[in-house]
Amino acid sequence: MTELKRLEDLDALRERLGTERKRTLRTLTVCGGTACQASRSRPVAEALKRELAEQGLGDVATVRVTGCQGFCEQGPIVAVEPEGVFYCHVGERDAAEIVGRTVRNGEVLEPLLYRDPVSGEKVRTLDHIPFFRWQERRILGQNHLLDPCSIRESIASGGYAAWQRVVSGFTPEEVIAEVKAAGLRGRGGAGFPTGRKWESCRNAPGDVKYVICNADEGDPGAYMDRSILEGNPHLVLEGMLIGAWAVGARAGYIYVRHEYPLAVEHARTAVGQARELGLLGRNLLGSGFDFDVEIVRGGGSFVCGESTALMASIEGRVGEPSPKDVHTVEQGLWNRPSNLNNVETWANVPLIINEGAARYASLGTDHSKGTKIFALTGHVKNTGLVEVPFGTTLRTIIHEIGGGASNGVGVKAVQTGGPSGGCIPARLFDLPVDYETLSEAGSMVGSGGMVVMDEGTCMVDVSRYFLEFLREESCGKCVPCRLGIDRMLEIVTDMVNGNGRPGQIELLEELGDTVSATSLCGLGKTAANPVLSALRYFRDEFVAHIEEKRCPAGVCRALIRYAIDADRCTGCGVCLTACPSEAITGSRKKPHTIDPGKCTRCGICRSECTFDAVVVKPREDARAQIHPRDDRRSHAAHA
Amino acid sequence: MLKYTHVTIDGATLRTPKGQSVLDVALEYGICIPHLCHLPNHTDMGACRLCIVEHVKNGRSTVTTSCTLEAKEGMVIRSNTDRIRALRMNIAELLVAEAPNSKAVQDVAVRCGVKQVRYPFRNKDCVLCGRCVRVCRELWGANALGFIGRGMKRRVDFPFGVRPDSCKVCNSCIDVCPMTITPCAGPMLPGREYLCGQCESQLSMNATVPDTCVLCDLGKGFQCARQR
Amino acid sequence: MYMEVPEADGLFRDGGGASRLLETLLERQEKEGYLSRETIRDVAVSLGVPLTEAWGVANFYKVFSLVPRGKHRMTVCMGTACHVRSAPLLLEEFSGQLNLEPGETSADGLVTVETVNCLGACGVGPVVVADEVFHHHMTPKKLRRLIRSVRRVEEEETEHD
Repeated sequence: MTELKRLEDLDALRERLGTERKRTLRTLTVCGGTACQASRSRPVAEALKRELAEQGLGDVATVRVTGCQGFCEQGPIVAVEPEGVFYCHVGERDAAEIVGRTVRNGEVLEPLLYRDPVSGEKVRTLDHIPFFRWQERRILGQNHLLDPCSIRESIASGGYAAWQRVVSGFTPEEVIAEVKAAGLRGRGGAGFPTGRKWESCRNAPGDVKYVICNADEGDPGAYMDRSILEGNPHLVLEGMLIGAWAVGARAGYIYVRHEYPLAVEHARTAVGQARELGLLGRNLLGSGFDFDVEIVRGGGSFVCGESTALMASIEGRVGEPSPKDVHTVEQGLWNRPSNLNNVETWANVPLIINEGAARYASLGTDHSKGTKIFALTGHVKNTGLVEVPFGTTLRTIIHEIGGGASNGVGVKAVQTGGPSGGCIPARLFDLPVDYETLSEAGSMVGSGGMVVMDEGTCMVDVSRYFLEFLREESCGKCVPCRLGIDRMLEIVTDMVNGNGRPGQIELLEELGDTVSATSLCGLGKTAANPVLSALRYFRDEFVAHIEEKRCPAGVCRALIRYAIDADRCTGCGVCLTACPSEAITGSRKKPHTIDPGKCTRCGICRSECTFDAVVVKPREDARAQIHPRDDRRSHAAHA
Repeated sequence: MLKYTHVTIDGATLRTPKGQSVLDVALEYGICIPHLCHLPNHTDMGACRLCIVEHVKNGRSTVTTSCTLEAKEGMVIRSNTDRIRALRMNIAELLVAEAPNSKAVQDVAVRCGVKQVRYPFRNKDCVLCGRCVRVCRELWGANALGFIGRGMKRRVDFPFGVRPDSCKVCNSCIDVCPMTITPCAGPMLPGREYLCGQCESQLSMNATVPDTCVLCDLGKGFQCARQR
Repeated sequence: MYMEVPEADGLFRDGGGASRLLETLLERQEKEGYLSRETIRDVAVSLGVPLTEAWGVANFYKVFSLVPRGKHRMTVCMGTACHVRSAPLLLEEFSGQLNLEPGETSADGLVTVETVNCLGACGVGPVVVADEVFHHHMTPKKLRRLIRSVRRVEEEETEHD
């Protein structure tokens, strides 16, 4: 492909590609995101290609492998365009029929259609699936239109059109004004006004400046950025180009977490193709502006999502945060002014330029504009990526889009904002989602993770999970974070093991406050949020653990015992074989029994019993019962 | 360009050469903000968080470490508010629970008003203050010591755990280490740790007595030597 | 493994060789399976960074292993979504079946069990990655089957020797 030397060249290319695209009659879109690939979508794509060739339909339809569309539970997904017929759980052996019947005759294959778990009915097309119908997929919606490894498809779908507009008619100050007027706020968690950040960076003294894309996405349970970077890397590059123009940077970095190899690959491919085409490099489109991007991999560290730690990591050092009395927009990467934004933030920029700030700001609430992508996971029927305007209520997201609880047990709470956030109980689900509202409720929007928890979840155990996570991820430099989190975990572990004492809840609150107020970086400052919000809304559970040595949800192993209900047990022996502690005895076809002395309450028997015969009961003599294996594990963690 | 700048600490306006940290200014004037990881003439890490102060700006105050805060013209600092004292006490409590077997750490705990230790004692021999690492790297350029690992597994060590050739056994690391002097009543055996709470002296390595002591209120709470 | 994209001329890398430390160590581990002391020393010398710095980076990032790992690496995702779907049961299974805790390698050097803090495949969790292949919706039962298939592959290979 020849390099684009002028603006007009890009226009001409886009027009030519658009005409070519119209000529293809049918497209079979196969989702190739990480999760769908785990479900083996690649063989499905290959099989479809083979069938098209063998059945002589290669001129009539093509196969497009796209990036993540966020409906991961239903993968592999195949959509037949232009009708929009939507097939789920597609296997290799379905390829012949899809090609032979749907492509050739337009026939719809019922067994492959999506069945709505709430209504029980089959749904034909994507826009009729309730999960999608309630969303406003302004950012994610582009994913199914293009192959992320093809810059041509990106351009044909409108990629780099906003960049073109900027080059041909916006000064840097005008770009900043537009982004400010749109009200875009950082999507990585802090929600800082993006336009203001760009302005500070522009005004910072210095000739060499950087723009950086934070694709570390460390919050467990969040995968929005993965989906954008895997599925539409050129959208991110375009946003960075516009940002670089605005702040005066000539070089940019995309820092991608190591655990996302596909995103790294797609980003590298995109950069390579953009350079080939002349969309990155020197004198872009004849404007005299230079800009290029490099992809940097992380090494497995949650704290590297923090801006100063991320920059230290790009510099090749350990990811230890530094004090931010002087902001990174003034002194960042190699002490130069650096503008760091999250993947989703960058992805919103072209939209703002294309449709204008006023239109962009018409969605959302007074102070939180535009849409936000949430990763809805956990005990909910429809899990996946949900993009909605700010102001949408939790109830709409969890019940209308998510379809409500997955296990027949009620929804108890939703955890938002990852390890920096908190839980919000079901009775507050009419709260609209925006930055201020969730903060006031004791949680935060964060990067967008939303983990739904049903009544079978113990909030003390959830607090322990987050504290364990943070303890492992803390860099360890400052005392309140390193020692404070460890001591909070020590206290919560006592509670979980039946060793809780009066006064510990108050100590937890006091220590949590100190850790929040005095830690060096955002990790420490928000580390107490999960446990403090759990205490705020579910204090009675903590009290039960301490005073009654009882776990109301039946989760904490030291406080429960497992027993087999003789009326339900058929003596099939599955639990006996599965038990890793050899704690179950019984003869075939006779009710089995669990030896409490050997049982570790690991839960494996319960998960495998198809007769619901394993029941959880409170432990009468709840003393701390730490199994040697748990002990070894916790020693390893403390070593 | 003026060579000096003025900051207000606890109501007193102080003049200082440009480029100093707020902690430097305070210590210079005898305002004894507690600290542990601060090592004069070396970079400041802001690791121990004991030197926290309230930085008042636009009617709001932020809690930040004075060792990493550069003193700028017109800055207003409060180093001894109730909130700061409460936070400092909790931090010192965490430190002494972790490493009680050091006179310096016990002294800091007393200075910060720790009266009870609500966590089980541990008997660690390092508080990760980083003084040894910095003196080795910045004073001598030997780079023989570094921080290894993350979180609770963080430790100070030689590369591969083996003393490298660049280490000239200068003993600077030992000289600046706060753990090298055991409490006056003797080393505390594992399982027999306690809050000492008796000694009211300054940290032994901060023996420099400033010429200008303002006899501030801060000194009273810390049983500052100059108050006698 | 990754597409080689040449560096743009002159627009980057203020920090010179030192800034390549993390990426170089990542590449060496991908080639050699883990980071030996010789490798770390070699990288430090070639990039001109103090050995302490290289040793620090090798110890800081979770992806690095400083000891040789088993032939088959099995990684369990411990993200929140996988956790509420009972990912800890999978650790129990590894413990019970192979007597391995995360970070440990079997005595015969065949299997290493590791954990990772979120792979971003939350929609299809719990996830186990075995030899770089993602396995979705894992249960203890499926994991037993997976472990058995790995054992079978090994037995077949030794038969062929």
